[in-house]
Amino acid sequence: MIARRSTGAATATGRPPNRRRVPLTAYLFVLPAVVFLAATVLYPLVFNIDLSFRDAGLRQIVTGDADFVGLDNYAEELANPDFRSALAISLIYTVLSVGVSFACGLGLAVFLNKTFPGRNLMRSLLLIAWVLPTVVSANIWRWILDGTYGLLNTVLGGLGLLDKGVFWLVEPTSALISVVTATVWSTAPFAMILLLAGLQSIPETLYEAARIDGAGPWQRFSRITVPMLRPVSMTVLLLLFVTTFKTFDTIYLMTRGGPGDATTILPIHAYLEAFQFFRFGTGAAATTVMLLIPLALSLFYFRSLRREEAS
Amino acid sequence: MRIPRAWLSSVLGIALAGVYVVPVYWMVATSLKQPGDVFASPPDLIPSPVTFRAYADSVLNSSGVLRGLLNSTIVGIATTALTLALSLPAAYGLARFRLRFVNTFLLLFLVVQMIPAINLALPMFVIFSRLDMVNSYTGLVLANCSLAVPLAVTVLRPYFLTVPGEVVEAATVDGCNQWSAFLRIALPVSVPGIVTVAVVSFLGAWGEFVFALALTTKEEMQPVSVVLAGLTNAFGTRWNDVMAVSAVVALPIFLAFLFLQRFVVGGLTAGASKS
Repeated sequence: MIARRSTGAATATGRPPNRRRVPLTAYLFVLPAVVFLAATVLYPLVFNIDLSFRDAGLRQIVTGDADFVGLDNYAEELANPDFRSALAISLIYTVLSVGVSFACGLGLAVFLNKTFPGRNLMRSLLLIAWVLPTVVSANIWRWILDGTYGLLNTVLGGLGLLDKGVFWLVEPTSALISVVTATVWSTAPFAMILLLAGLQSIPETLYEAARIDGAGPWQRFSRITVPMLRPVSMTVLLLLFVTTFKTFDTIYLMTRGGPGDATTILPIHAYLEAFQFFRFGTGAAATTVMLLIPLALSLFYFRSLRREEAS
Repeated sequence: MRIPRAWLSSVLGIALAGVYVVPVYWMVATSLKQPGDVFASPPDLIPSPVTFRAYADSVLNSSGVLRGLLNSTIVGIATTALTLALSLPAAYGLARFRLRFVNTFLLLFLVVQMIPAINLALPMFVIFSRLDMVNSYTGLVLANCSLAVPLAVTVLRPYFLTVPGEVVEAATVDGCNQWSAFLRIALPVSVPGIVTVAVVSFLGAWGEFVFALALTTKEEMQPVSVVLAGLTNAFGTRWNDVMAVSAVVALPIFLAFLFLQRFVVGGLTAGASKS
């Protein structure tokens, strides 16, 4: 049963899609998703900001009569050594992970851009790590890094690099290195895929011309690959930063933010504040501040993108 | 000298792939060991004897894990259904019509994907507490869809852009209205994209952890990701059991990976419009 409506006649005369005649039904296609996201994303975000101005503990959560306290929660959080430490650790963890992940991703992309037997299989295998749920990979890492029976200590011991077991997740520095490693393991294949697509879009003729002019492999890489890869690199770096900055599962499962607070990044701090100490007001303030960093970065990114397009 | 060099690359490739295969292998190998063999030093690289005891003990005979698997399945299927119901028309509308604010919408959908889950989980917990929706499937599904819908629209829109405008035009001339043109023409030719989004939505909800942790406080409502996180504390050093549950949680991802790769290739060759 095809319902007959007159909207067809209007669009049939012009070339599709047509700016002048957008049927009203067109907006109805988009409306449900927009209303849904307004309710499940926009409303919670606004609610969260409102919550950050209130003294909200567990009792007030249920009754809903939390007192307005202005900027008290923000003042409290910014003066809180735990928050400051979480902010610092967040930035260290994110910058380290993004840097190493980008370098590994680029190396893998350059490597996989060549043809050799087994290349496609290898690319598929790397992608499995990217799609593996972080709850699973975090558990695997915990087991591999186990101080007494872990595979890593066995391998390093067998190679003569260690003479006694290292308790990787118990020492502050090695715990941070461990969570960075687990993060890079998951994110590097993602960087590789995007960078590989970028590499494959560079015209082969550029390399041929450079080769004729006598440029060596390093010169070809630094003079052609690097500048041609700049736009996609910017995108990859932004996406890596944004996804790494909001990491929760990997660290929560590997260290719970410990030892002490050595790996307590902002999302973990905000979670503990709200769901362990039931301080929802300060938790909301922490998450609101936390949101500013990726937001500022993406604004900067979109502006530089527009400037690049304009020039 | 070309062939030896290519083979050198293959050797390096195997080493690099090992970095990714060995952890996954180690999970499976550990899950197939007897409890005592897990702590052998040096560890057995190949489990002998192979035993499925860990799967029997910690999955089949564990009501907590089975319940978690059931919860994750329900939440995953409902999240997929709602995500498709909302994102298919939205992605089609944004691809087919020159709506005002198209770029604004697309940018907003991108920005939403950058929001840390905890930023939504915290206020949602408060809102759901008042609506009595903590520990409910509805709450979990709404939370999962909040991040799944923007991703789905972003992935689906390019598929609908490839649907030739002439085909849809022809249908509207023949008396189809916009909705039946969408349902009868645009959807059937976009099946590869729809399947991709369905699988991504399901797996996203399946492995999701932050909402699951924040929005469920009762054990019987916890998705398997949270149950698994609880196991590592409760089991302490029973790594064969932890790895068995991990492998079961990872199984849908491996299946989807095998299935999707073939499907997408099939979808590419199917080509609905012959010109």
